[in-house]
Amino acid sequence: MTKISREEVLRIAQMSAIAIKENEIEPLIDRLEKVLSYAERVTEVATNVEVPSNKNCDVFRQDVSVLQNPKPILAQAPERADNFFVVPMILDN
Amino acid sequence: MKSRAFATIEELRSQLKNKEITHADLIDYFITRFKAHDGQLGSALEVFDRESIEQTSETSGPLMGIPGLIKDNICMEGRVTACASKMLENFHSTFDATAIERLKKSGASLIGRANMDEFAMGSSTETSYFKKTANPWDMSRVPGGSSGGSAAAVAAGLVPWALGTDTGGSVRQPAAFCGIVGLKPTYGHVSRYGLVHYASSLDQVGIMTRSVWDNAFIFSMIAGNDPKDSSSLPVQPKDYTKNLDGTLPKGLKIGIIDNTLTAQGMEPEVRGAIEQAVKEFEKLGATIKHINLPSIEYAAAAYFILSRAEAASNLARFDGVRYGFRNKQASTIGPMYADTRHDGFGDEVKQRIFVGNYVLSSGHSGAFYENAKKVKRLIRSEFTNAFKDVDLLIMPTTPMPAFKIGAYDVDPLQMDLQDYFTCPMNLAGIPAMSIPCGFTKSKLPIGLQLIGPHCAEEQIFKAAHAYEKVTPWHTMHPEGFE
Repeated sequence: MTKISREEVLRIAQMSAIAIKENEIEPLIDRLEKVLSYAERVTEVATNVEVPSNKNCDVFRQDVSVLQNPKPILAQAPERADNFFVVPMILDN
Repeated sequence: MKSRAFATIEELRSQLKNKEITHADLIDYFITRFKAHDGQLGSALEVFDRESIEQTSETSGPLMGIPGLIKDNICMEGRVTACASKMLENFHSTFDATAIERLKKSGASLIGRANMDEFAMGSSTETSYFKKTANPWDMSRVPGGSSGGSAAAVAAGLVPWALGTDTGGSVRQPAAFCGIVGLKPTYGHVSRYGLVHYASSLDQVGIMTRSVWDNAFIFSMIAGNDPKDSSSLPVQPKDYTKNLDGTLPKGLKIGIIDNTLTAQGMEPEVRGAIEQAVKEFEKLGATIKHINLPSIEYAAAAYFILSRAEAASNLARFDGVRYGFRNKQASTIGPMYADTRHDGFGDEVKQRIFVGNYVLSSGHSGAFYENAKKVKRLIRSEFTNAFKDVDLLIMPTTPMPAFKIGAYDVDPLQMDLQDYFTCPMNLAGIPAMSIPCGFTKSKLPIGLQLIGPHCAEEQIFKAAHAYEKVTPWHTMHPEGFE
């Protein structure tokens, strides 16, 4: 049975870059514990199974640059200036 | 005469050829059907106008004028592709997915966008940010998911075919719930280019129709190698309808996966319908074998881990910078990312991202992610061994018929377990098709899966077509949609 602490949830939320509100923490712990406790059963059968390396499966293609019109792509930006995406400040004042 | 609403693609093409109807009339006819019936059904997020539909397609081709509905996670240039999410509510695709490009070249009329579970995460189409979709057989029930809009529209005769996507069962489970044909092709057989990723090692574009011939016809248009998708198989397009003559492949051996019929939660009516279908295949000349695939019991667990892990990585791109929704309250970039993703994603999507990052995180990836990959391998080898003895396998698509809207609100794990019978084939990368095989006493459709080894779509189509010819299930339609 997987147990998840409040600290762990906050750490996962941070890794996921998703804000979490106080009232969301408990229901989330409950949901994660149930899914992960079910998923744990993979350990029961995963012994002595060889997983081949994926190295033989790589697919290569020519690295060719293609000229693209930036306008339709930039038109999707939540905020833009000329040919640039605009983001909030990286560091606070 | 059979209603035009429920005519197959095969029949509509003949009506067009005989000049009983024009292409423009046909598009208008189905647009009018959406207007009349979709207010209650809720299968489409958007139905386009005829002028813009005609502008986007070739003026000739085998699918000329035959309308189809496209799941909202497959890119169509100039159209919104929202994945039924607030995050992409106003996102307009700047290119066509390869499947869309091929359909347009075939002359198909892409009539609108189908509702779905947000980012294809769900089994009931209830997690859509925009609306819920009903099951045309019983409007108080779900159509299944995540391709629920596609399935409901095809079943209700609002459109003769639709595209869905299948990561753990999202084409086959709604096809079974709505009494239609749903194919998940071999991984790599249809290009994933232009499909918004959920779990890239499992995702496939799938096809939903009311007949097997129609399914094979659409598959013939979209299948085949695509250099834009590095996981695409080196398979050339061909006509998959050519050998559909109502007979089974010669000397066909079918394996019944016995342990799925005795699985927990299997409803007797579903089991009865599958057993009856097996008898039909036997009458048609198939040799039946009974087999067990014990590792199927672990497939859902492995699927939960792998799909959520890949989703956590794939959905990292939605950050409010280049496109999509942005929360504009925060004054610095870190909180902007976090608030954007908090407000832009629904609960189910966020929970799956959290699970994904947990199973990938240091200290947990060994127990979860690495072991899940081993189970995936185990399942693949069990299928490979089974196909040494038989040509195709049969198992139920779902253990029960469509459930009530809201049935799993308090127990979401049971909703997750909807993938139990369908996700093993995604893990193995093999093709599987759900076909209608009966009804419950309360007139809800039941589906069975025909499963083959890699690239055995042709055999699956042929076997399913022969079964369809001797059974009435595909000719039955929900009341109130005439």
